[in-house]
Amino acid sequence: MASSNPSTPAKRNKGQHWADTYRDQIRWDDVKWGTHCVDCYPGGCPMRVFTRDGEIVREEQAATFQPIEEGVPDFNPMGCQKGVAWSATRHGEERLLKPLRRSGERGEGKWDEISWNEALTEVADSVLDAIEESGPESVVRISGAEAVNPVGQGFSRVMGMLGSVTTDVNAEINDFSPGLYLTFGKFNVCSSLDDEFHAELVIFFMKNIAYTHIATSHYTAEARYQGTEVVLFAPDCSPSHMTADYYYPVRMGSDAAWALGASQVIIKEKLYNEQFVKEQTDLPLLIRLDTGRFLRESDLEEDGDEEQFYAWDTAKRRLAPASKTTLRWGRVKPALRGRRKARLKDGSLVEVAPAFDLLREHLNRNYTPEKASKICGVNAGEIRKLARKVAKKRTLVWAGGTSLKYYHADLMVRAVNVMLGLTGNWGKKGTGITCWSVGFFDGPDITAQKTRPGRRAAEAAIRQREDYVAAFKAMDDTWTDEMAGIEMAHYAASNGLIGMVPPAFFWYYHCGYKERWNNPEWGDPSMKRSFDEYFEEALDKGWWEGVSRPGPETPPRVLIQAGGNTLRRVRGGGTQLLKNLWPKLDKIITLDWRMSTTGRWSDIVLPVANEYETPGFHLSTPHMVTLFHSEQSVKPPGMAKTEWEIGLLLAKKLEQRARKRGLREYVDAYGNTHTLDDLHDRLTLGGNIITEEQVATEMVRDGALTDSLPDDTSLAKMKKQGYQRFTGLGLSVLDLNQAGDIEPDETFNHSTWHTQKRLPYPTLTRRAQFYIDHPWFLEAGEEFPTHKENPKMGGDYPLGLTSGHNRWSIHSIQIANRMMLQTHRGRPHLVMSTVDAAKRGIEDNEEVRVYNDVSDFLVPVKLSSSVQPGQVICYNGWDPYQFRGWRGPMDVEPGMVKWLHLAGGEGHLRYWPFQWQPTPVDRAVRVDVEKVREKDLAKVAAST
Amino acid sequence: MAPKKRSVKQSRQIAMVFDLNKCSGCQTCSVACKMLWTRDNEGKDGTDYMWWCSVNTQPGRGYPKDWEKMGGGYRDGMLQLGELPDRESFGGGWDFNYDEVFYGGKGTTAHLEPEGKPPEWGPNWDEDQGAGEWPNSYFFYMPRLCNHCTHPACVEACPTGAMYKRDEDGLVLRDEDNCKGYQFCAKACPYKKIFYNHVRGISQHCIMCFPRLEQGVAPACARQCPGRLVFVGYLDDAKGPIHKLVNEWKVALPLHAEYGTGPNIFYVPPLSSAPLKEDGTPDDENPRIPNEYLEGLLGPNVQDALATMRKEMAKTRAGKKSELMDILTVYHWEELFGEFTGDPAASKLREKRSK
Repeated sequence: MASSNPSTPAKRNKGQHWADTYRDQIRWDDVKWGTHCVDCYPGGCPMRVFTRDGEIVREEQAATFQPIEEGVPDFNPMGCQKGVAWSATRHGEERLLKPLRRSGERGEGKWDEISWNEALTEVADSVLDAIEESGPESVVRISGAEAVNPVGQGFSRVMGMLGSVTTDVNAEINDFSPGLYLTFGKFNVCSSLDDEFHAELVIFFMKNIAYTHIATSHYTAEARYQGTEVVLFAPDCSPSHMTADYYYPVRMGSDAAWALGASQVIIKEKLYNEQFVKEQTDLPLLIRLDTGRFLRESDLEEDGDEEQFYAWDTAKRRLAPASKTTLRWGRVKPALRGRRKARLKDGSLVEVAPAFDLLREHLNRNYTPEKASKICGVNAGEIRKLARKVAKKRTLVWAGGTSLKYYHADLMVRAVNVMLGLTGNWGKKGTGITCWSVGFFDGPDITAQKTRPGRRAAEAAIRQREDYVAAFKAMDDTWTDEMAGIEMAHYAASNGLIGMVPPAFFWYYHCGYKERWNNPEWGDPSMKRSFDEYFEEALDKGWWEGVSRPGPETPPRVLIQAGGNTLRRVRGGGTQLLKNLWPKLDKIITLDWRMSTTGRWSDIVLPVANEYETPGFHLSTPHMVTLFHSEQSVKPPGMAKTEWEIGLLLAKKLEQRARKRGLREYVDAYGNTHTLDDLHDRLTLGGNIITEEQVATEMVRDGALTDSLPDDTSLAKMKKQGYQRFTGLGLSVLDLNQAGDIEPDETFNHSTWHTQKRLPYPTLTRRAQFYIDHPWFLEAGEEFPTHKENPKMGGDYPLGLTSGHNRWSIHSIQIANRMMLQTHRGRPHLVMSTVDAAKRGIEDNEEVRVYNDVSDFLVPVKLSSSVQPGQVICYNGWDPYQFRGWRGPMDVEPGMVKWLHLAGGEGHLRYWPFQWQPTPVDRAVRVDVEKVREKDLAKVAAST
Repeated sequence: MAPKKRSVKQSRQIAMVFDLNKCSGCQTCSVACKMLWTRDNEGKDGTDYMWWCSVNTQPGRGYPKDWEKMGGGYRDGMLQLGELPDRESFGGGWDFNYDEVFYGGKGTTAHLEPEGKPPEWGPNWDEDQGAGEWPNSYFFYMPRLCNHCTHPACVEACPTGAMYKRDEDGLVLRDEDNCKGYQFCAKACPYKKIFYNHVRGISQHCIMCFPRLEQGVAPACARQCPGRLVFVGYLDDAKGPIHKLVNEWKVALPLHAEYGTGPNIFYVPPLSSAPLKEDGTPDDENPRIPNEYLEGLLGPNVQDALATMRKEMAKTRAGKKSELMDILTVYHWEELFGEFTGDPAASKLREKRSK
C-alpha cells in the first residue's frame, strides 16, 4: 500500500561532482513550521519542515527559543529521534492511503478498497441504525489520545453532536493520578520543565526520564552540574541512573515506605515547615477519635455545615473554624499536637486530635526508617539522610507514569506528597511534584461554543461563560474560580452536556471485566467485601449518577476509534475486547493514518492526514507554557483526508441519509434533543468555516481573547514565529488547576496561588489533604497513606511484569515504522535479569513464553544486568500484531481497578473529565517465563 | 567545485566534544544523520544499512559487532590493516512483512517481523544491556562517528588517492569520483566507521556534514542533539569550549588513543552514580563504572579527568562558581557550536541546486 519516498537522498545527476551531490542534499525550496500533535509530553517540539519539489525532504528542530529566565539554560533544540524522523512515517509501509472495507471475516485481513462516498455512507447508516434502534449511547467513541489536534476535530465534533458516548481517555490509558487527586483535588499539577534547574534535590520516582523526556532531560544533567543532587528510586537500574548521584533500588510497588519513613524522620526530628503545614495542609484539622471522621460543624450544631472543619486554637483554647476562602489562620494558632474534647450537638463529649498528631503516631508506629527499610529495601540510614535533605533543600519530585499505574499507586504518591508537604516543597521555584497536564489554549473551546464566526461571537461566548461561572459561584460564594470550574465540569459530565464518561462502567457491563474485577485471587487481599458489593453500593448511593453509562440496558452497537488503538492499549488485553465486545458490535470504524491492530480488526478503515499534512496546534502543556503551531507542508498522500474534511463530509452524509429515512431529531437518555438536519451548518458556523485555515484562524483569534495569549496573536503571527509563549492561564478548569502566574521571564510553578495568595485547594477540606475520611477509606485503612502489597494480579507467580515507555516510539505511533524499527532489535522483547534467565536456562534473543492465569504470549528475551531479579519488563506500546498470535503483555494483565476508586459522594471524590475515576492498572502483574516448546508455538497458532 | 585535495601542512582542525554525562542514548544524532545522508530509496542507493553516526551502550560489543577486536590504525608508527567488517557484523537494514500482515488475509497467523532469518545484530543491538551485577550494574552511551583523525590510517591505506584530509579544517573526506571500493580504508580504520556501498561500489563514511559547515551550520548530529552535549569547533580556538575542555581542563579525551590515529572526537567521561555496598549504603569512594573499563576506552588520563569533574562539581555544590561546570552546562545552546551557529532554514539554503 505504501508509496515510494520521493525524497531520495544523495541522488546523483550524471556528471555531477560528488561533493555537489551532498551539497544539494541540504537545499530546499520551501520550509514550514511543523510539530507533532500527539500525546507526547512535553511534545510540541518546533520543527522546520523542508520540502523540495512539493515533497518533504526532512525536518529539523527549529531551535529558535530565546532564553526565558536569566541563568536558566534555554530549551533548544528540543526534539527527539521520533520527531526528527516523523516524515519517515509519511510514506512508511504502515501508512493508510485508501478507505478500506473488510471483505473477509473480522480480523482476517482481507479488504476492498472503496470510495469515500461508499465508506461514509456505510458509517452514517450504521450510526443512524444504532441511534434509531438503541439510542445514541449505543455509539461509543474510544477517545483518541493521538488525535488531539484541535483543528482536526471535525469528525469528533459531529459525533459529539449526535450524543454518542466517548470514553475518558485518562482512564483508558491510565494516565490519571489518583494519588495527586486525593491530595490536591486535581491530578494535573505540573510545573514547567526548565524549573527543574532551580531544584536543589531532584527525586525520580517511578520515572525513567532518559526514555520519556528525551527533548528536555538535559535540565537534569545541567542542574546537576550546578549543584543539584539527583536521586533515583526504581526497581531496575534504569538508564536514568546515569544522571543520578544515587540510585536506590526498591522492591517493586513499595515506594510508599521510603517516603513515609522519611516523613517519620522529618516529624520526629522536627524538620517540618510548621507554617506551611498549618496553612497549606489538612494536618491541623481535628479528627474525631470515635469515628475517625473530621470534626464538622454538622457534628456541633443542628443544620451545621457538613464541610466546615476545625482546628484547635492554642491561643484562645477553643475550636476555631477553618476558613473556606483563605488558607490563612489570622490570629488563630492552630495546634498540631495533643488531644482535646469537643462537645457535640447532643451534648456528649468526644475526643479529637489534629490530623498531624495522628499522622505522627501512624508514622512512629509503622514507618520508622528501620520498618520502612524492611518493606522497600532502602537502607534505613539512607532514608534518614533523604529526610534531612528534603527538609533542607528545594526538592522536586518527578512522578512518572508508573506512579499512575500501580494498584496502590495512590498510596505511594500520597506518601510522597506528605513528605513534600511537611517540608514546604511545592508552590515555589525548584519544588513540587510534577506529573503531566494540558492547558492554556482555550481557543478551540471558545470556537466550538460559537454559532457564527468572528470576534464578536467569540466575545459573546466568553461572556456567556462568565455568566455561567457567576451563576455557579452564586450557589456558594466561597468557591474560587477553580472550584466553580470543577462544579461546572462535574455538572456538565453528569448531565450529558459533554459526552465523556469514565469507561469503567463500559468495561464492566460490556467488555467482560466484571468477572475479572471480582476475582478475589487477583484483587486486594485487604478488601473486606467483594468487588461487586462495593460496585453496587457506589451506584446505589448515586456516586456515579449520570456517568455510569452506557448501562447494561444499552449494549454498544457501533464502535469508533479515531486516533487511538484500543486493542493495543486497553489494560486487560485486546483479546478480552475481541471476545466480549467485538461480537456485540454491528460496525467497527477506525480513523488513522497508520494500520494499527485495532484498524486491522475493524470493518471500515478511513485514512487520515498525518502531521505536516494539515494545519494544527499541539496540545499545549504547562511543561512548555507555549502554543505550538504546525503548518500544512504537503497534502495528505493517496486518498487520505484531514479529520476536519472527513467531519464535513460525514455531516452532510448524515443529513442526507437521515433525511432519506425520515429521521430529523431524537431525544437521548438525558432528555436532550439532537437534530440531524443542521450538522454541517453547526460545524461550519453557518457555512462560514470550511477550510482548516479558517478553523485555525478562528481558534487562535478566539484564544487571544483570553489572558492566555497576547492580544495580537493571530494565525499569521503563528506562521511566522511557529510558537507563542502563553501569558496567562486562560479560562478552562484544567488551566486554572495550575494555580500559578505565568511570567514572561521566569520558569513556571504550579500551586503558587495556594502557597503565596493562600487561595484554597479544591478538596473537601480546601487544603492539601493527607487524611481522607470517606467511610470506604476508613474501611480500607487508607485514611493516611500507608504501604500495601501489590495484589497478585494474574495469579501467584514469581516474577513481576512491568512496562514503562521505551525510547523508540510514542505509544504505538512509530512502533511499526521501519526507520524506528532499525534502532533496536526490530521486534518486541522482554527485558530480563541475567540471574532469572540463568535459572531458567534462557539465553539472549531466545524466544520465551510469558504466562500466568490470564493468558500467555511469546517474545524474544533481552538480557540485562540492570533489571532487578524478579522483575521482567515488556513495553506495552508494541502493537499486538508484532507478537506471534497477536498476543502481547496486555493480554496477561487482568486490567484490575482498585475498588476504592469507586468511592464518591463526599468532597472532591466525584467525577469530572480526566479526573476522579477507577482506572485499570498494569504494573507488576505476576507472571512466569519459560523456554518455548514446539507445542507452545502450535498452541498460539491454534488459539488465534 | 571540488573540496581541496590533501596538503602536506594542515592548518586547522575541526573537532567535537561529546559530554557523555548528558547523553541519554536517545539516538537523535544517529537518526538525524540517517535522515539526512543515508536514507535509502528502496535499496537503490546502497546506504540503507549504514549508520555513519551510531550510539551504543557501553560496555557492549558495539557497531559493527566487536569492532574493537578488528584491528587497524598504527602500531609503532606502522599502518595496520585490520579486519574488514562484513555485512553481518553491521546487521540491521531489516525489511518487514507489512503487506502479509495487513492485507494478506492471514488473520493473526502472520505477525510483523523482519523478513528472512530472525535478526541477530543491528546498529543498537545491545542497547541497555550493560555489565556488572544489579544493583551495581552499569552502562552509559557513546555516540560514535568518523574521528576525522590527525593521522588518518584510511588516507594512508587508500591506494587510489581518493581519500584525503582537508587542509582548511582537517576533515577526512573521500573523492567518491575516484574511489574504487577497494576497502583498504575500511581495513585500516581502527574505529570501523567506514561502510561499503554495494550498489555504487564505493566506500562511504561520515562527511562531518561539510555542506552544512560550508554554510556555517553545525553538523546534524551536533545541532540536533536534544541533550545539548555535542560541542563543535576549531581545536585551536583558544577561547572556544573545545580547546578549554580538551587542552585546558583536560576533561575531554579521545577514544582508544592507542590506535595511533589521533582522533579529533573527544569524550567527557561518565561520572555515574555511586555503587551500593552490601548494606545498601552508597560507596562514595568507588566508582560504579570500573576504572579499568574507562581506562580501556579513554586511556589512563580518564581518572584525572573524572577527578577534575568531581572537584569542580563539589564547588557548585558548595555554592561556588566553576568555569568548567558553566561550560558543560551550556546556558545558551549556541555556545556549543563556535562559529557554526547558522540556521539550516536560513534562506541562503533555498534551492540553488547545482546542475
